[in-house]
Parts: sequence; structure tokens; C-alpha cells
Amino acid sequence: MEFSQLVQNLLNGLAIGSVYAIFALGYTLVFSILGIINFAHGAVFTLGAYFTYTLVVGEFGNNGLLKGVNLFPNGSPLSGEPLTFALATLLGAVGAGLVAVLIERLAFRPMRSRGADPLLALVSSLGVALVIVNLIQLLVGAEIYNFPADAYGDTPPALSFTMGDKVVIIRTVQVIIFAVSLVMLAVLGYVIGRTKIGKALRAVAENPGTASLLGISVDRFIVITFFLSGFVGGLAGTLVGTAFGVAGPYFGVTYGLKGLAVIVLGGLGSIPGAVLGGLVIGLAEAFVPADYSAYKDAVAFALLFAILLVRPQGLLGRSAIQKV
Amino acid sequence: MSKTALPRVLSAALLLTLGLTQAQKVETVSIGIAVAQTSNTALLGQEQVIGARFAEKYLNARGGINGTPFKLVFQDTGGDEAGAINAFQNLITKDKVVGIVGPTLSQQAFASDPIAERAKVPVLGPSNTAKGIPQIGNFIARVSAPVAVVAPNAVKQALKLDPKIKEVAVLYAQNDAFSTSETGTFQETVKAQGLTLATVQKFQTTDTDFTTQVTAVLNAKVELVIISGLAADGGNLVKQLRQLGYKGLIIGGNGLNTSNMFPVCQKLCDGVIIAQAYSPNQGSAANQVFVKEYTAQYKKAPPQFAAQAYAGVQVMVEALKVIDRKKKLNTWDLDDLRVELNKQILLGKYNTPLGPIAFDKEGEVIQKEFYVAQIRMKDAKTGSFVYLK
Repeated sequence: MEFSQLVQNLLNGLAIGSVYAIFALGYTLVFSILGIINFAHGAVFTLGAYFTYTLVVGEFGNNGLLKGVNLFPNGSPLSGEPLTFALATLLGAVGAGLVAVLIERLAFRPMRSRGADPLLALVSSLGVALVIVNLIQLLVGAEIYNFPADAYGDTPPALSFTMGDKVVIIRTVQVIIFAVSLVMLAVLGYVIGRTKIGKALRAVAENPGTASLLGISVDRFIVITFFLSGFVGGLAGTLVGTAFGVAGPYFGVTYGLKGLAVIVLGGLGSIPGAVLGGLVIGLAEAFVPADYSAYKDAVAFALLFAILLVRPQGLLGRSAIQKV
Repeated sequence: MSKTALPRVLSAALLLTLGLTQAQKVETVSIGIAVAQTSNTALLGQEQVIGARFAEKYLNARGGINGTPFKLVFQDTGGDEAGAINAFQNLITKDKVVGIVGPTLSQQAFASDPIAERAKVPVLGPSNTAKGIPQIGNFIARVSAPVAVVAPNAVKQALKLDPKIKEVAVLYAQNDAFSTSETGTFQETVKAQGLTLATVQKFQTTDTDFTTQVTAVLNAKVELVIISGLAADGGNLVKQLRQLGYKGLIIGGNGLNTSNMFPVCQKLCDGVIIAQAYSPNQGSAANQVFVKEYTAQYKKAPPQFAAQAYAGVQVMVEALKVIDRKKKLNTWDLDDLRVELNKQILLGKYNTPLGPIAFDKEGEVIQKEFYVAQIRMKDAKTGSFVYLK
């Protein structure tokens, strides 16, 4: 393989890997606190993108109950001006966070309060995901929606440089996603590692019963966890939507399985692990020869399998300590 | 009861039950529409729903079947084979339809059409263009021209636009039966035209990132790219090809033949060449009425998938009219009517929005007029298919 091709593959891998990473961040956050997989995360990710699109464009196309309805005929209800993309993204992420809180109230809390098996919570979150996805389709149809081409201002669509006689190239939007996923990793790392909220969250994750005895409101901190997870998921949905378009109601669900692989590979419950897992799977896919690129999913999961044989706890996961 | 008498009693009961089910009279004429209303395929399926509903409203307003209205029964197939099988079974056994228009994808048709074949229920594929669909069985026909007939026109048109084309890249969705069938036709056409197939790239319809494929295409330094996929993946592929600097001509297959692609690649869709089996500009009276009424209701020209679904319903209704003139439909046994409908579909000639069509004895559509269009984007959201001579 030529050196330029190696660099190109590395960039391709980091680009798609950062998409997996940013999706998996919110996914792993809930697992790290509650020890359960929230299958509705893909639907929340999708909603984040739709919320932002609604705030930026305000109008949906030819199908669904909202067909042709302009939700903001006079610009933003606050200022009368169209919202900037950055502000709409932030509000979209907040909306997704609130939906995640609602999911916690509807799908997880009733199960938790009855002491149900975690598997039931997983299944009920899958049910919620399907309801959300179908609700989106009912409202806005199955069309693909795209953010305005100038969402990132005047940035060029791609960045390129030459190596010998070959051009190495990457889309600007993917550089942005990569940067944001690293920023989100740093922010979440700081919040969980260095703040009072983070300490409380870690206490709840360690032992909810003891945390409750110490005066920590377990339910409140679980709500905070879901909000953070939904916020990060919604933000990721918008960013990925700018890269590939908001590809219909099932847009986020397709990332669900890959996201699961990412958090298992990175180490269940490890936030840096989610980012590392995403990048490793992205790089593994990128190095599949182009002619066989349709088999990249199989390669990614084979790699997951191989790594788990050697490190069952994942790349950055901790081995479970057995008390004897 | 003796041991020997029991099997006889049971078989008599079974025969009686079968006799009862066979003697079902046709009370309301129901035609099944099994298309994708959910999943990623809904992008195409919802256009078919609109086309079929439009046919129901329009044809019933003009007398239905010799004065009796017919009813469409919709079953969602989703985007996979299991969904299509389930929809077909429901339509055949629960909804008691006389025939089925569907499913959306060839991939689904290979799984669900044999169900209808075994039950002797006529099926009209509205958008199944892969090789081998009519050959599934005697009760399977299609109104959608096979890709082998339509696709070569696009390559010839690209050569007219740029005679200097030598090197070609072909990309296709390998998890979709229609795309793999279509790419075979494209690749044969490329070789037949004396062009070099520089690279063949595969992807999945669920993929969103095509950086790997695009960089391989760029390194192959081709002058023409041919894509066989569906609207979402195909549109994204076009977008990423352009964003990463590809400047040559692009041909899209039948899966990209929908205005639903416009929001995906926006202005970057401009110039994509697509071979089509339908044009709103087709001059037949049937099509002009269809276009006028459709545009009045939906504020846009009808897309191919809507026109083909309309044609599917129209063919069934016209065949039923002929049968009804010979013997009133409500006097038929359902099973016998299904068999008769299948015969009549293949015998008839129809003036549909697709132009005049008929069927050969295998159920393959006989259609004379095909088109090549180029996408012209007015702005980021709105575009149109401009037909090339």
C-alpha cells in the first residue's frame, strides 16, 4: 500500500469512527450509571436531527401529517429572525435530552421500581424506539431532509493535500464531527470526574442504595444521566445529519447495532472507551479494501469478536472483581 | 367411535371445511396493495401509495368496474422479505383480495411472489425491475420494465454528452437484488460500448459514508460513474462524489429515479443522468389526464413510482371490467375469479400513463417508450427531470 493510500485510509477511518464514537457517547453514559442498554438512543439521536431541522427550516415536504405546514412562518418565536444553525443545534439537543428524560420515566423507571430484570428494560426501550420512529414517519413522512448547504458558513466542502502525485482528501463536516466528539469526551470526562454532579453520578453507579443513604436523590441523578445522554445523542444526530442528510425516521436506528459493538469493544460503561472503540471500528472498516467494502460490517464485528477473546472487558473496561 | 371410522370422519370434516372455503363468493372487489409504508424503502413506497390511492379515487369516480366501485386494501411490507411475505399472506387469506399490486423491491418479490403463486393469486409488480421476476410463476407479471431494457439508454446518452469517455467506475448496493441485477446490465453495456471498467465498488443500501468508495473512484481517474442503489444511499453517494472533487458525468439507476433524491444531494444532484420508464411528458391522452389531475392535487409532476403503481391498479381494474361484462363479478367464486383475472391481465392491451402496454405470456411488460432524463436543480430543494432527446 502506498503511503498516501495509508494516510487516506487513516483519515477515512477517523472520519467514520468519530461518527460511531459520537453516537456511542450517549449510549455508554446510561450504561455506565444504570448498567442497562437504552435501545431508544438511536431514536433520540434521530429526533435531535429532526428538532434542529424544524428550528432551522421549519417546513416539511410532501408526506405526513405536517405536510406543507410552516411551523415558524414568522421566523423564531423569540426574535422573529431565522435561528442560526448553532443555536438551533443546541436547542435540538436540549429537546432530545428532554425526550430521553421522558423515555426514562415511561420505559425505565416503572421497571426499576418493580425490580424487574434489566432485560425487560432493554425490551421496553426497544418498544419506545419503534414508537418514536413510527411517530416521526406519521408526522413528516419517510423523506430525507437535508440541512441548508451553508450550515457551517463558508467552510469548503472538503479539505485536501497532495502526497507525491496522489491527492489525500477528507470532507470538512467529518473533521468537525471528529473535533466535536473529542470536545464532548473532554466535557463529559470533566463533568463526571471533577464536578459534584459527577461524584454523585459515580456514587449512584457504584451503589444506588448506599448513594440514597448518603442523601443523594438517585432518581434525580438518573434523570440527569438520561438528559445528558439525550443531549449528546441529539447533538450527534444533528452533526451526522449535516454529513449524510437526515436519512428518514430510521436514520439513527441503523447506528444502534454498530453503537453497541463500539461500547462493548471500548469497554462497557467506559466513556473514553466509547470514543476509542468507535475510532478502532472506523479504522478497521477503512482498511477493508475498497472492492470488498460491502463486507466492512463483517470485518468490524470479527475484530470485536477477536478483541473480546483476548480482553473480555473491552479495550478500556475494567475486569469485574469477584468477591470471595 | 371405532378406530377406523375416526379418520373417515376427520377427512369428511376436512373436505367439508375445504368445500366451504372454496365456495366463497366475491362480495366486494378488493385489490391488494403491498408496498413499503415503513422502513427506508418507504421513500419509494409512499410514492406508490399515492399513485394507487389516486387510481382508486380517479377510476372509481369514472364508474369503477362497470358501475361498481372497487376497494384497495393496503398492507405495509416494510423494507424486507419477511414483511413482504406477511403482507401477501394477510392480503390473500384475511383480506380476500382478487389480486395484488406489489411489492416495492425486487428483493422482496423473490420472497413473497411464490406465496401468491401457490395461492393462485395474480400479482403485478409495480417497481420490480430485476431479471427473473415474471419467471417466478404463472401468476406473476409486472408493469415495471426490466432494467435490462431501460439502463443501456443512459450509457448511450452519456456518450452523446461526452464522447471522450473511456474509463468508467461502477458502484452498486450489493445487498439489494434489484441493484445487483441492474449493475450487471450496466457493466455489460459499458463493455459493449467499448469502454473500460476501471473499478467496481460495492456498498450496502444502509451505508451513509462512502469515503472509501469515493477515494477509490477518484484514484481510478474515471470520466463516468454509474450508481445502482436506492434514493438515500444513491443520493449520498452523488453528494460525496461531488464534495470530494469528482467532476465527470454520473448515471443513476432506477432506484435514484425519484425526486426524493433531491433533498439528499441538493444542488449537487445537478446533471445526474437517469434512464426512466416513465415521463410526465409522454404524450398519450391517458398520461396527460393523469399528469393534469395529479399535479392539481399534489403540486408536482407525478414520479415514476406513482405512475407505475397507478398503472398496476388500472390494469387490474380494466381486466376485471372485461370479466364482469362476461359474467358479473359478484357471481364468481373468489378462487375462480383470481385465475380468470390472471388470464385476462395477460390478454389485454392497456393505455396507461406509461404509454400503451401489454404483457407477454410470461407476464413481462411490453412497453415501447423509454426516456433518459437529466436532473436540473433550481435551488437546494427543488429540481426536475429534464428529458433528453
